Amino acid sequence: MIDRLAAALRRSRADYVEIRVERTWSTAVTFRGRRLESATASEDQGGFVRALHAGGGGGGGGWGVASFTSLDRLDAMVDRAGELSRAVRVDPPIRLADVAPHHADVQLDLDGDVRGVSLAEKKRLLQAYNGAMLGVSDRIVDTLAVYRDEVSEYWYVNSQGTVLHELRPEVTLSGTAVARRDGTIEKGLESIGLRRGWKSVQDKAAGFREVAERAVQLLDAPMVTGGTYPVILDPELAGVFIHEAFGHLSEADFVYENPQAREMMTVGRRFGKPVLNVGDNGAAAGLRGTLPFDDEGTPTQDTTLIKDGILVGRLHSRETAAAMGERPTGNARAISFRHAPIVRMTNTYIAGGRGGETFEDLIRDVKLGVYACGAFGGQTMLENFSFTAAYGRMIRDGHVAELVKDVVLAGNLFQTLDRIDHIAADFRWNQMGGGCGKGGQYPLPVTEGAPHVRIEEALIGGDVPG
Amino acid sequence: MIARLLELAQRGADGGADALWRRVERTTVAFEWGRLKAAASTEEAGVNLRVRHRGRVGVAGTTAVGGGDAGAQHAAPLLERALASAELGEEVDLVFPPPASLPPLTTFFARAADASLDHLIEIGDSLLNRLAREGCRVNVAIDRETTATRVANTAGAAGEYRATSVSVSADVWRIAGDDVLVVSDGLDGGDLPSDDALATLVASINARLDHALRIVAPPDGAMPVIFTPAGLSALMLPVTQALSGKAVLQGISPLGAKRGEQVFDARLSLTDDALRLGRPGSRPLDDECAPSRTTCLVERGVVHRFIYDLETAARAQAQSTGHGQRGIFGKPVPAYTNVILTSDSDTQRVGAPHAAPLPLGGGLLDDIKDGLLVDELIGVGQGNVIGGAFSHPVALAYRIERGEITGRVKDAAVAGNAYELWKRVATFGADARWTGSRWAPSVLFDGVSVARR
Repeated sequence: MIDRLAAALRRSRADYVEIRVERTWSTAVTFRGRRLESATASEDQGGFVRALHAGGGGGGGGWGVASFTSLDRLDAMVDRAGELSRAVRVDPPIRLADVAPHHADVQLDLDGDVRGVSLAEKKRLLQAYNGAMLGVSDRIVDTLAVYRDEVSEYWYVNSQGTVLHELRPEVTLSGTAVARRDGTIEKGLESIGLRRGWKSVQDKAAGFREVAERAVQLLDAPMVTGGTYPVILDPELAGVFIHEAFGHLSEADFVYENPQAREMMTVGRRFGKPVLNVGDNGAAAGLRGTLPFDDEGTPTQDTTLIKDGILVGRLHSRETAAAMGERPTGNARAISFRHAPIVRMTNTYIAGGRGGETFEDLIRDVKLGVYACGAFGGQTMLENFSFTAAYGRMIRDGHVAELVKDVVLAGNLFQTLDRIDHIAADFRWNQMGGGCGKGGQYPLPVTEGAPHVRIEEALIGGDVPG
Repeated sequence: MIARLLELAQRGADGGADALWRRVERTTVAFEWGRLKAAASTEEAGVNLRVRHRGRVGVAGTTAVGGGDAGAQHAAPLLERALASAELGEEVDLVFPPPASLPPLTTFFARAADASLDHLIEIGDSLLNRLAREGCRVNVAIDRETTATRVANTAGAAGEYRATSVSVSADVWRIAGDDVLVVSDGLDGGDLPSDDALATLVASINARLDHALRIVAPPDGAMPVIFTPAGLSALMLPVTQALSGKAVLQGISPLGAKRGEQVFDARLSLTDDALRLGRPGSRPLDDECAPSRTTCLVERGVVHRFIYDLETAARAQAQSTGHGQRGIFGKPVPAYTNVILTSDSDTQRVGAPHAAPLPLGGGLLDDIKDGLLVDELIGVGQGNVIGGAFSHPVALAYRIERGEITGRVKDAAVAGNAYELWKRVATFGADARWTGSRWAPSVLFDGVSVARR
C-alpha cells in the first residue's frame, strides 16, 4: 500500500500533497430493553487527498481536497485535488509550519484483538451488562445498551517525506437505563470508551448496575431549586466543562484569522485564579484521544493552555501555527477519510490541585451548595454554556445531603472560569464513549480529565416556576 | 450490484432480503473568515443488505463495492455477514413489500448537477460581499450533492432515482470584548438557489444582526414569547420524537396513547411530506421500497398517525408509512422527510419560496407590550427531550417593547413544557419558511417563563 501511495504522490504537480487511506472493520451490538435490536459487522474503506499549489504572483492555491471509497480512483483523485487547489485563489497564500518528516510503523496495544472475537460473544457480553441494568428494579422500563468496536488500519504519506502506518483499536460501551413511575421518567447513563480491545471491557457490570439504581432513586428525588450556589463539579462534569466551555476556544482555527477573537484569546490574558491549570495531551498513555501522530503527520504532545490562571498556549494545525507564528501541537485531526483534518482536542484536562486538597476540603465551608455529578450533555455557544448534570446532591453545612435532579449548570465562560476557587488533588481521566463534534465531524474520540473542582458561585437550573 | 446480491441472498436466506445501493458525489466550497479557502470533492458508494432467515433479521454494510457495478467478489462476504447478524437477531415478522407503482416526482435538477465549481464559488462570493461589514467576519459554505440510489427486495419491488441537492449556509461573527455574537442562516433545495432566495438569506441575517448590535436588559417572569421558525426547534423536537412509531413502541412517547385525541391547539396541523417538489428530503420511495406519500401526523390538534419503517411497523402490528431510512452501515430506522407545520390561515402557501424578505417576528410584534423573541436556544436536544419539559439559556434572543424589537438579550433562560405550550398558541406568524427540513412560521405563546440570570 505504501508503494502505491508513494507512486500516487509522485503523479501530483502540487507543491504539497498528503494522502490518507483507512480500512476499518467494526462490529456493533445494540440491545433495547430485553430485545436485541441489532448485531452487525461492517467494513469501511476509503482514501483522502489534500493538495496545495503555491501558485505564481500574489497569493496561492487554496486547499484542494478529494475523498473517495473506491481505491481504484486513487490516481484520479490525486489529480482532482490538484485541480481543485488551482481553482481556488487564496491571498495571502496558505503556509504550513515546518514539521520534520517521520517514518513510523505503529501497532497500538490491541489488548485482545476484537477481530478474533465472535459476534455471538460480543452479544453475550452486552446482554450481561444490559441485564445488570434491567435487573435493578421493575421500575426500569427501558434500556439502551450499545457495544461498538473497531480496528482501523491507517496509512499516511505526504510529499515532505512522512510515511506512517498504524493499526488503531477502539472499543466503546454505553448503557442508558430509563426508570419510570406514572408520568415521571428518569435516566441513568453509563459510558466507557477505550483505545484498546476486548480484554479491557470485561467485568464492567457494576457501572451499568449503578446508573440504573440511580435512575430509580431519581424518581423520588426533588428537582433542584434554581438559583445561585457554590457548585462542586465531580471529575466527569469538570472534564466535560473544560472541554466544551474552554477547550474549543483554544482551538487556533477559531482565532487565527479573526482579529477580534485573537484579542479575546491573547496569550497572557488571565482566565482564572492561580489554582487553575489546563492542558491537552495527545500523547498521554492509553487514552482514547491518544495517537502517536495527528492526521497531518505531526507528533502529538502535552500542550499547556492555562498555567496558574494565565492563558499560555493553544492548539494548532500546521496551517494555524504558521499563520500565528507558533509551533504545531499535533492537533489536526479528522474523524475518517471522509474529512479534512481540522484543529481538535485530544485528551483535555484540568490538572489536579497542587495543594493536596480533598473533596471534603472543598465542601467543608459550604453552607448551602450543589454537588453536580456526571454529564447528560452540554452545549457551548462560545462564551455561554449549558450543561445538564446526570444528577446532583445538595451540600448542607459542609456535608453531602439529599439527591436532586434536573441540575442544569448554565453561565458565562469567563465569569465561571474566574470563579473556580478550589481544585482538589483527586485527578482522574474519564474514559467515556461518545465523542466530540465540530464542523460536521462527529464523533471524534477524545478523553477528558479533571479532579473535583469548586466554583464559588454558579447558576443552577433554568428557574422553572411550578 | 444489488440485483446479483439479492439473487445470491434469495438462495441463502429463507425469508428474503432487501438491499440499498447508494452513490454520492459531493462538491463543497468553503469560505473561511471572509475568504475562499478550500474546494472539496467526494465520491462515495456503498451497499446495505438486510436478510430474514429462520424468522430472524440481520443486516450488513460495506463501502468495499469496487468501482462500477462490479463487486461479485464482495457480495458473498457481505451476505455471510448479514446471515451471521441474523443468526443472533430476534424474530421479527417482517414482510418485504411487493412491487408498487411509484408516485411521479422530480428529484434531479440538471442545472444543479451541472453547475461548475466556478459557479458555486460565484454564489459564495456574492454572499460574502453582501454580508461583509465592519468588525465582522463571515463564513460561507456551498455544498452540491448528486446522489444515485437503487433499492430492491426479493419480493420484486424495486426503485431507483437520482437526486440533486444544494445547500448554502452563512454565519457572521462579531466579537466585541468578551461578547460573541453569531448570526447564521442557510437554505437548501434540490436545485440551485434563485437570486431572490439568496437575497432573502442575506436580508434575514442582516436584519437579525442589526437588531442584535444593541444589548438590552433581559425581561423576567411570565410573558409573551415569539419563537421564530428557527427558534421553534425546542418546541418541535419533543413532538416529532413522540410521533415516531419507534418511541410509541418503546412506551416512552407521551403521545403514544393519544391517537385520535385533541391534544394540541385546534389550529395546529403537522404533516410529513416526502413528495414536496424541490426539497432535498423528497424521494419517490423510501429506503425499504415503500412508495412515498404525504403523511398527516397531527390534524387540527388531533394526533392522527405515527411514522413507521418496516421493522417498527411489524413489531407494532402497523403498516410502514414509508419512513424507512438507511445508511450504508446499520439497519433502517424511521425518519422524517419534510415536516410541515401549518395553521389554518396559511395552508395554501406551504413550501412556496418567498419573493420578499420576511419581517423578523412574522408580524406578531404589534400587540406585545413587553416580551421576548427567541431565535436560538442553547442545549436543545439535551436531556429528556421527549418528556416535553425544557429549560434553555438563550443564544440569540431579542426584547420586544411596545410592539418593537429594542435590542438583543443576553443572560436569560426560557423554560416550559412543549406539550402544554402547543395547547395554547396565541398566534401563528405570517413568515413560514424552511429551516432545514422543517417548514414553520413564527409562533407566539403567552405566559412563557423567562428567567434573568
